[in-house]
Amino acid sequence: MPVDEATPAVRPAPTGPARRAGSGSRATPRRGRGGRRSERLAPYVLLAPALLILLLLRFWPLLLGVNFSFTGDGERDGSAVGLANYLELARDPLFLGALRNVGLLVLLLPVAVAIPGLLATFIYLRVPGHRLYRSVYFFPAVLSPVIVGAIFNLLLAFDGPLNALLGGVGLGPVDWLGDPDVAMFVVVGVHVWATFGMALVVFLAGFATLDASLLDAARVDGASLPQTIRHVIVPSLSRTIQFVVVTTMIGMLTSMFGLLYVMTSGGPEGSTYLPEYYIWIQQGQLNRPALASAASTVLFLIMLVVGLLQISLLRRAVREA
Amino acid sequence: MSHLRWGRWLLALPMAVLALATVYPLAFTLNVAMKTRREYVLDRFSLADALRFDNIGAAWNSVGMARYLANSVGVVTASVLLLLLFGSMAGFALSQLRFRGSSVLFLCCLAALFVPFQVIMVPLARVMADAGLVDTYPGLVLAYVAQFLPFTIFLMTSYYRTIPTEIIDAARIDGNSVYGVYRRIMLPLGTPALLSVGILDALFCWNDVLIALLLMPSAEHRTLMVGVTSLRGQYSDDIPTFASGVLIAAVPVLVIYLFLQRQIADGVAAGATKG
Repeated sequence: MPVDEATPAVRPAPTGPARRAGSGSRATPRRGRGGRRSERLAPYVLLAPALLILLLLRFWPLLLGVNFSFTGDGERDGSAVGLANYLELARDPLFLGALRNVGLLVLLLPVAVAIPGLLATFIYLRVPGHRLYRSVYFFPAVLSPVIVGAIFNLLLAFDGPLNALLGGVGLGPVDWLGDPDVAMFVVVGVHVWATFGMALVVFLAGFATLDASLLDAARVDGASLPQTIRHVIVPSLSRTIQFVVVTTMIGMLTSMFGLLYVMTSGGPEGSTYLPEYYIWIQQGQLNRPALASAASTVLFLIMLVVGLLQISLLRRAVREA
Repeated sequence: MSHLRWGRWLLALPMAVLALATVYPLAFTLNVAMKTRREYVLDRFSLADALRFDNIGAAWNSVGMARYLANSVGVVTASVLLLLLFGSMAGFALSQLRFRGSSVLFLCCLAALFVPFQVIMVPLARVMADAGLVDTYPGLVLAYVAQFLPFTIFLMTSYYRTIPTEIIDAARIDGNSVYGVYRRIMLPLGTPALLSVGILDALFCWNDVLIALLLMPSAEHRTLMVGVTSLRGQYSDDIPTFASGVLIAAVPVLVIYLFLQRQIADGVAAGATKG
């Protein structure tokens, strides 16, 4: 603990209230200059490690990266190339495919939010066994995407158990991870399998703030379950739903790397690329850091739209807390 | 009333099916890990005919899992301790102290939440390389701290906001410096939040693969999760050993989950309701 003072206990607190409190005999209010300054600087000292790290390893690379994206790779390393990298991205079928997959994620977002939302509703309504379900559903969320991916590699292999099961009931084998039309849906499905527990817990926290008398009133009025969900639950939980929508989207954009890396490596035929995987390949494998930086900048712009939305939510939440 | 009861049971059915779908993949993997190769090829679904641990032993011994595990434990421990230290210091300052620029600095920390790693990974790798930190443990620890610090600060700040100012005022009157208040009051009072944030941070660091892949190229520096990704190539024709390796990597987290699921779920919920 580098900031700890040697003898804090004997030094009186040099603030106004301390003097006015007049704890005279003990607190000899000697307001030494050094002590006072150290007290005034204390907040900055406490914040210094965090700010230094964030500045050097978050904000500085962010600026560096945007700058990077306007320079060349390889022989043209460091020299300005204008928008060449962005133009190359716009022509690269792999990157365009990655963007198309982002679009697919947006389309699948309502499903990814509705599943945990409905399940949380049922748990809230105390379906038999609700306590057990809560902890069972959450457990894949603590597993690394790498482990989840490896397990599903096993289950979804062409000669694996799922196809053996399908074959048993007379359905042809499906090349889950080898068919370009299927693979992306499979990976997203596995991602949802692995993460819906997170959203479920968030929904349940939202339900805890729900006014139970509203539900009772709906029940007395004879509302059906779908009616209750639509007219009571959804309006009361609008903030929670917004939050889950935003975090689920961010999760899809930034935490599927492990799955892609283990399950498909972007294939087959590049059909499971996402921007994050594209950045990784260009940087780590193809040694095109400048091009990768341009892709990063595009991803950042996408995230910014999502993030600005979330900041406004967060600030409201903080003010209410 | 009985009508409602029936409705509930009707809902319970798909939920039970889903619960099964949640548990089955891991149960399947466990079963496969207990089988011999022959057994697996003949019938993938049958229960292993004995509790056999040779595959697990083989996976443990052959691919350096012990080394990877030690790497992960060391890096995660150091990262979490630093995260909690820096996060609680910053959280205390941002929540309880009045100083010039406090709201701007809070917004800075908040803004850092929205800089995903993928966006900065290329320049970060270069910054790390310039500092000579690539392929070193301090480098990876520093990267994890930078990655999860905004989240940690945010949760600690919202938690410390709930502590009444009177407690701090009283401690100041008793003659504590700001640092004394941090050490004697804020750290002990913050224990519940430090615990749940610490568990979440540990999970995040433990489960990461992208940052470790980027910053730790050499094989002996692999973390456990990176080690798992290399299993596939090594054991593509020996599924039981492959499953055993995956299982070894999953066990620490599963054990933690069994004991601390309340705290983990509460931490996630706190992150959501407070922010």
